[in-house]
Amino acid sequence: MSVSLALPVLIPLLAGALSLAFWRSHLAQRWIGVIGTGALLWSSIVLLKVTWQDGIQVMHMGSWAAPFGIVLVSDLLGAIMVLLTGITGFATALYSLVSIPREHEKFGYYPLLHLLLAGVAGAFLTGDIFNLYVWFEVMLVASFALIILGGERAQMEGAIKYVTLNLFSSALFLSAIGLLYGVTGTLNMADVAQKLSQVPEAEQGLVSVISILFLVAFAIKAAAFPLFFWLPASYHTPQVAVSAIFAGLLTKVGVYVLFRFYTMIFADDTELTHTILLWMGMLTMLTGVLGAAAQYEFRRILSFHIISQIGYMILGLAIFTPLAIVGGVFYIMHHIIVKANLFLVSGLVYRLRGTYELKELGGLYRSHPWLGLWFLIPALSLAGLPPLSGFFAKFVIIRAGVEAGEWLAVAVALIVGLLTLYSMIKIWNEVFWKAAPEGCEQREAPPYTHQGNSLVMYYLPIIGLALMTVLIGVAAQPIYELAEAAAEQLLNPVGYIEAVLGAKP
Amino acid sequence: MMLTAVFAGFVLAALAPWLTARLGGRVGWLFALLPAAIFVWLAGYIPAIAAGESFYYHYPWIPGLDINLTFLLDGLSLLFGLLISGIGTFIMIYAGKYLDGHQYQGRFFLFLLAFMASMLGLVLSSNLIALFVFWELTSITSYMLIGFNHEDEKSRKSAQQGLYVTVGGGLALMTGLVTLAMVGGSYELVELLGSSEVVQEHALYLPILLLILLGTFTKSAQVPFHFWLPNAMAAPTPVSAYLHSATMVKAGVYLMARLHPTLGGTDTWMIVLGLFGAATMFTGSLMAIRSSGLKSVLAYSTVMALGTLTMLLGVGTPTAIAAAVTFLLAHSLYKGALFMTAGNITHETGHKDFRDVGGLRREMPVSTLFGGLAALSLAGILPFFGFIGKELMFEAVLEANTIGTLITLLALASGIMTVAAAAIVGLRPWFGVRKPTKHTPHDPPLAQLLGPGVLASLGLLLGLLPFIAERSVLSAAALAIAGEPVELKLSLWHGFNLPLLMSAISLLVGLTIYWKWDTVRELLQARRFIDTLGAERGYDAIMRALVVVSEWQTRVLQNGHLRYYILTTVMTLFALLAYTILTRYPVWPGVDFSGIELQHLVIAVLIVLAALVAVSTHSRLGAVATLGAVGFGVALMYVMFSAPDVGITQVLVETLTVILLVLVLFRLPGFLDLTEHSTRLRDAIVAVLMGGVFTLLLLMAIDVQFFPSISEYFIEHSYPSAHGRNIVNVILVDFRTLDTLGEIFVLALAAVGVYAMIKLRAEDRKEGDRP
Amino acid sequence: MKIESSIILRAAGHFLLPLLIIFSIFLLLRGHNEPGGGFIAGLVAAAAIALYLFSMDIQAARKALYVDPRDLIGGGLVLAVLSGIPAALQGKAFFTSLWWPVELPLLGEVKFSTPLIFDIGVYLVVIGSVLTIVLNLAEAEEKS
Repeated sequence: MSVSLALPVLIPLLAGALSLAFWRSHLAQRWIGVIGTGALLWSSIVLLKVTWQDGIQVMHMGSWAAPFGIVLVSDLLGAIMVLLTGITGFATALYSLVSIPREHEKFGYYPLLHLLLAGVAGAFLTGDIFNLYVWFEVMLVASFALIILGGERAQMEGAIKYVTLNLFSSALFLSAIGLLYGVTGTLNMADVAQKLSQVPEAEQGLVSVISILFLVAFAIKAAAFPLFFWLPASYHTPQVAVSAIFAGLLTKVGVYVLFRFYTMIFADDTELTHTILLWMGMLTMLTGVLGAAAQYEFRRILSFHIISQIGYMILGLAIFTPLAIVGGVFYIMHHIIVKANLFLVSGLVYRLRGTYELKELGGLYRSHPWLGLWFLIPALSLAGLPPLSGFFAKFVIIRAGVEAGEWLAVAVALIVGLLTLYSMIKIWNEVFWKAAPEGCEQREAPPYTHQGNSLVMYYLPIIGLALMTVLIGVAAQPIYELAEAAAEQLLNPVGYIEAVLGAKP
Repeated sequence: MMLTAVFAGFVLAALAPWLTARLGGRVGWLFALLPAAIFVWLAGYIPAIAAGESFYYHYPWIPGLDINLTFLLDGLSLLFGLLISGIGTFIMIYAGKYLDGHQYQGRFFLFLLAFMASMLGLVLSSNLIALFVFWELTSITSYMLIGFNHEDEKSRKSAQQGLYVTVGGGLALMTGLVTLAMVGGSYELVELLGSSEVVQEHALYLPILLLILLGTFTKSAQVPFHFWLPNAMAAPTPVSAYLHSATMVKAGVYLMARLHPTLGGTDTWMIVLGLFGAATMFTGSLMAIRSSGLKSVLAYSTVMALGTLTMLLGVGTPTAIAAAVTFLLAHSLYKGALFMTAGNITHETGHKDFRDVGGLRREMPVSTLFGGLAALSLAGILPFFGFIGKELMFEAVLEANTIGTLITLLALASGIMTVAAAAIVGLRPWFGVRKPTKHTPHDPPLAQLLGPGVLASLGLLLGLLPFIAERSVLSAAALAIAGEPVELKLSLWHGFNLPLLMSAISLLVGLTIYWKWDTVRELLQARRFIDTLGAERGYDAIMRALVVVSEWQTRVLQNGHLRYYILTTVMTLFALLAYTILTRYPVWPGVDFSGIELQHLVIAVLIVLAALVAVSTHSRLGAVATLGAVGFGVALMYVMFSAPDVGITQVLVETLTVILLVLVLFRLPGFLDLTEHSTRLRDAIVAVLMGGVFTLLLLMAIDVQFFPSISEYFIEHSYPSAHGRNIVNVILVDFRTLDTLGEIFVLALAAVGVYAMIKLRAEDRKEGDRP
Repeated sequence: MKIESSIILRAAGHFLLPLLIIFSIFLLLRGHNEPGGGFIAGLVAAAAIALYLFSMDIQAARKALYVDPRDLIGGGLVLAVLSGIPAALQGKAFFTSLWWPVELPLLGEVKFSTPLIFDIGVYLVVIGSVLTIVLNLAEAEEKS
């Protein structure tokens, strides 16, 4: 047992609680924002290191033995996800220092940010299904509050769609938990996994039905086809720092639980579940990327691309060979960093030019060539061009698809890759290459939309994340090994189960 | 050393903007040192490779995925490597002067150097995926270079087109390579070269071949994907000379040559490559004399050359392979020289069309000489190297059996038109009437003449002394392509034979066409249908369709109405559940009513009635009240089934909910009945279906408990271990603290959210923001 | 919101508030053994203040609460999180309960424990959250 296991959950919780307690002081909240997310990043690095070196970590909260108390578990997938949470959280917190207007700070921006991160980290680390639900609730309410923060009409409209559909997912999730608890009498994931494998053959049908309930609930959270409506309706409305963290992390929690549940827990009726996932993945990719092609607003394009990228990850899970799972995990790692960064870039463009509309933008390659580079790195990576991270992510999935003979899936993945490039090039052409339209260069974001005049804190996280994107691509071997080991643990859940419940005699 | 050679270009590229800002146009000479050094280094391998050796280097990159930086240096890669570095040297020098003082010369060199490094990596890689990585890098750098004048819309469109076509083909290529590696059992070219039998007899051979060819055809501008190449002439001239003539567009040819031992020799290979190559050759030469732009004539003649090479690889006989390597070298030499010369003409006169220039030989004598020499080689005149290439090509197509007649005819036609095109570029600007020009022309400085001079002279030198080329690299390259030794027998004079006759015919007819060029061109241009034949229209149609389809899809799916979103979501769930229940759960649950008592039934009925009223009432207050009734009913149920804590909590929560609802109720606008009857009916049906499925689910699950529940443990341990008799509370604050902790944070978050929603209004802020 | 509340309601508000608050604390403390606990107790206390609000007015309700409800939220959350840490300092898992039985005059043996601290945190958060919402909604109502 390592203390570091609980820290990625407790640190943001404490930071959130403290910044609520100091709600009167902007300064205190800003410091807690940076220190809290910095500590989260540090603890997540420690956790991944410990998990890599010493194997799966388990903490029985309150010292109650599993499966009775709640356990926190970090296997490699969980630890990787937490690290990504730390990275995104810290980058966003820095970016927030200058991009979040003072008023938003006053009305609880920082507590919401910390608690969102706490919910995400909790979801990645918990080994208990009901506790997972609780963290989902924390995320949902925190993200809802972040969407409405600012009180714009568009925000309200988006938030209502967001919260309604997500509450439906929560209700479904809860019902599924109830049924699962009825059948297995336990909430501990390892225990559930173990017990489900002992369910008599004749009753497997019920397990399949329950797995479908979970599947739909999580697919809504992951924004898969045809359940993604809430995402494009809402993601472009909040502050861009918020969009970045949503884009990077929130849907990936849905993807994460799909990976967790449909490898470890529901891996018996794959003919049903993984066939659904396969079609879901392909259609998600296609509809997402086509949705983006129709948009001419920076953030809306990016939002639709979240959906299509989710499709790749689901595809990795659906193909369900070891290599495909590796591809899925690799894809998640690459995607979170890239996607968050693209949103951050869009925010900087807005800061410089006061609009997100491609038609009104232009000339940035002339005036800000470096920004062009920082955009191109994540953008081309998203489109899967080598030698950036996205290429290897896509390559692994395509190789897995070829080797599994899933030709249709491979074809879809390739076409979607090309269409992703189409959207990224569209942004590049309109925002960077095109000559600046009349008045564009004089415009700036109005002062009430940000804080101060320094751009350093805009650039710092963007550059950091862009360098990571390059690094994941150029030094892909360690990342690949990590993803491979994580997939190995998922596909052989015995290690996880024994770590949680103790080795069987 | 190998790694340094490949990656030095990238390092230098990164420094290029900074160096250019320091040194200005002279920096071209500095940058030229790198390709020159690489050329010299590669040339050092000539003796060994000419003797039949090959070199293999291995550097691990991502061994887990079989992606490694492995390099294979044999005759083929050596030939390409020498071309890339050799021509690259002159291009750097040329570009330093050509773009001297240009605002973005630094960026230009950045992409040019990066391209050169990528291209070297491409031809040297032995690992399929590493090769593909470099392949894509050449597409990206090419994109950045075609769009160099990015504020011009046409440049942007051309760049975009080149990128989509080559990257699209690249994706097919990647799939093909991955499949090839799966079938052939290795990602290493050196290993695949020996596994042609396994691959060619595999059921996936045809898909592999077609996927890879899709990649190479798009890259090497084969019909019907050739349209992007002439458009790519939007790039500055050094780029056209280097990327879109001498090197990048030959990447596809390179890969086909490279994979010839593995994939080649089958009937499919011969027919596909032969036909598409010949069609490309014909189209290219026809379009060359149909256009009049300095660069577009050259661009189409490049298309012709690429087609010829593909065709020759398709024919695949020893003569054809000998012809291919000879033609490849000859073409790179004269085409590089011609492009640079064309650039010089534009640079000096300000004109971009052959119709506007003439009689420049007096002002630009040196240019005239070099341009003429290169054009003679293009035309395939004795004693130039181009002549040897062309003779061999005719010889090869005459030998071809499967589709021999057809491609021979096409080859002759192309030969004729190529002579005409060569005359256009070699005679038109220099001789004849002096036409007025925008600027006063004179010969450009050394930097801009060095490249054309050396390359054009080499065309003559190698023509006179062909054994130099043969013994140094061409034999070795042919060996690598054929997989077995090929005797080249390069010489100027083969005696009086059919190929010579064909050469003579093409020369005569070609010159006649040139004589009547203006008429011929206008005649051809009047045939508008030729424009409509190209796949460019297909490309445009796809681009338009993409927008239409995506907008349609967005209207249908993301239509902005929450009610449809909910409807879709619910129906998806219903469909999946219903399907699963029907296929996986054949036993319908029996219902056991025995345990039910009257008071349960009464409360249940009350709850149902209250719910019905809540959905049908037209009064908000009524809805709140009846929802409250549902809540209290549920609370009563808890109490009856002996969970007093939960019951109390439920009552308190219901009370507070009602208070809150009352507080906000009066702020809402009046209740309006906006939905139609049919809509409500539809919603009712969906709701009943969903409710029905859930009822069914509960009935299914109610008796199924395979394992003892963990709640037994809580009951047992609550007092002894956790010191509390109230199990609910002990669960909340001890057994499952983390859940409670999460939930109180949820509560706090809700409070923060509501607070912000009430207090922070966008309208207020904007009002306050105004002075 | 200005409700012309009856004298009876006002009197009841005055009279009931302290009783209900004491009752809520009673519920909180006995929660570990009998029905009750921080959550229920917090709801009772919040309901008491809400009732007071309806019978009097917002200023009176804020005064009766002494502190800003948002402070209660922050304080309660910090308390709840911190209650899990002492165990970790002793090398046990977070949130392992620690018990300190104390002999107090008059009351006899009272068991202080980290779960109790946690429950107090819950109590404060519930009061703070509910009242943040109720008071601000009522205020907004009054303004409009």
